[in-house]
Amino acid sequence: MTPPVTSPKLKFGREYRKPSLGMAMKTLGKTIPGSVRHRFEVAARFAKSLIRMVRFETLMGLAVVGAFFIVSAGFAQEANDQDAKPIPILQGSVALISDFTGGQPDIHPIATPVVLLPIGQRWLFETRATFENDFVEVPGRSGFHGGPVQKEVEYAQLDFVANKFMTISAGRFLTPFGIFNERLYPAWIRNLQSDPLILPIGIGPSNASTGAMVRGGFQARPQFDINYTVYFSTVVTTTPVDSDRFAGGRAGIFVPKARLEVGASFQHLLQQERSNLFGFHAIWQPTALPLDLRWEYARSKRGSGYWLEPAYKLSQLPFLQNEMRRTQLVARYQEFFTGPAVSDSLPPVHTKQFEFGANYYFMDGLKFATNYGRQFSSLGNVNVWTLGLTYRFVVPLGPDGSPK
Amino acid sequence: MKRNCMMLCCLAAMTLLVGKTLGQERPKSETFSKATPPAGAPLLTGNSKSTDESTSPQGADRTEQARRGTKSEPSERAEGEQRFRENCGRCHQPPHKFPPRVMAAAIRHMRVRALLTDEDMRLILNYMTR
Repeated sequence: MTPPVTSPKLKFGREYRKPSLGMAMKTLGKTIPGSVRHRFEVAARFAKSLIRMVRFETLMGLAVVGAFFIVSAGFAQEANDQDAKPIPILQGSVALISDFTGGQPDIHPIATPVVLLPIGQRWLFETRATFENDFVEVPGRSGFHGGPVQKEVEYAQLDFVANKFMTISAGRFLTPFGIFNERLYPAWIRNLQSDPLILPIGIGPSNASTGAMVRGGFQARPQFDINYTVYFSTVVTTTPVDSDRFAGGRAGIFVPKARLEVGASFQHLLQQERSNLFGFHAIWQPTALPLDLRWEYARSKRGSGYWLEPAYKLSQLPFLQNEMRRTQLVARYQEFFTGPAVSDSLPPVHTKQFEFGANYYFMDGLKFATNYGRQFSSLGNVNVWTLGLTYRFVVPLGPDGSPK
Repeated sequence: MKRNCMMLCCLAAMTLLVGKTLGQERPKSETFSKATPPAGAPLLTGNSKSTDESTSPQGADRTEQARRGTKSEPSERAEGEQRFRENCGRCHQPPHKFPPRVMAAAIRHMRVRALLTDEDMRLILNYMTR
């Protein structure tokens, strides 16, 4: 039996012919003068032929370049008045954190350099990397042993200050969901060295997004300012810079008179369960007291929770003023509730945690931090101790403009 | 081949853009004169904010000052200090002063990260560099 000779190409598909300019002209040439509608149809066919001639990637490339030109030209006249020309700087922090969770000691050195590269008056390239290691006790061996140094580019983004209302960022950026990930994460900034339990909600697999973001802050009324962020992230599967596909936004209101900021975050996951995530945050610094009060709530299909963190500086105490003004007492209460979906990065059961501690600022940028906490869950209650030393540095990479 | 050509074109366009942006920078003296108008001259317009710290330590009367529309250098410094404490202290311990050009880079970073307003940025930079 000889199978019938068929040509699937002819039977099921049409032979592809790359459109050319000649074809397009031929298409135009066949037109018969008629109604206006017919002319439109001919014009549309001609445009379609032309578009087919170039590849999709080419169009995308041209669109990106064109968008840059348009934005650049559109706002070129609005010069930002600065009396000092910014220079590239290297800043960041180094920290040595040791924690004892459930009696297991862990020494955790971490360095997070940040490079800021201002370009002209409106552009900024910024990137932050992390180099960290975990030294733990290995049974049967003395001392602490660490594995290879973990390296990660936390963000690398190009910012364009379009005008006073809007900044456009593209690249890999910290996901602006809530306040902790984007604003409070570095070791020298955070009041307590442990992460909140709800931190993984809404920030993606590597705490960052890959895509574009539009953001800004402006004075809406004399009494308050508004800030906003809208972003889109695409899928990246390369570890450790992986990211999910989602879109979201965050908006906040800051009342300078009351020193109060409240805001909300929203995100829609465009993959997997395609769920919605939302959160709320607040920061309040009462004017009468040296107190910082921060609160955050997040909800997702994989869990929800909140944390509340007061921090009080002892600067108002009438004795040992030099020491007291450098000392800060901190506490944090947090709770996590599991959701219908599971997550590797979130606790598997309902968990409560209370921590309190103290920070002592030796000088600008050098901080000693210690805290004690206890975690309550059905898996067992554990103590969490942390001791740490953090140092923030700034190194100008050029003439810094200081008077000789 | 085509893809490489496109990449080269994109790179060339980006280089041109960066060059153009750098070319737009004005001489330092010119920007200095714009950033620091003489005392008594109208300084704040549009959505600018202003406060006299002596009468409203926490920024209560921003509107009143803006209506008056005039500001001297010391009051602008006071305003800058207040904005510095309000904005920088919200997330971290306010740092000591940095050299002017370092501060200019840091404040641009903070504009993006902490969503500072245009006016906050200008006043804080003024306060931190003088």
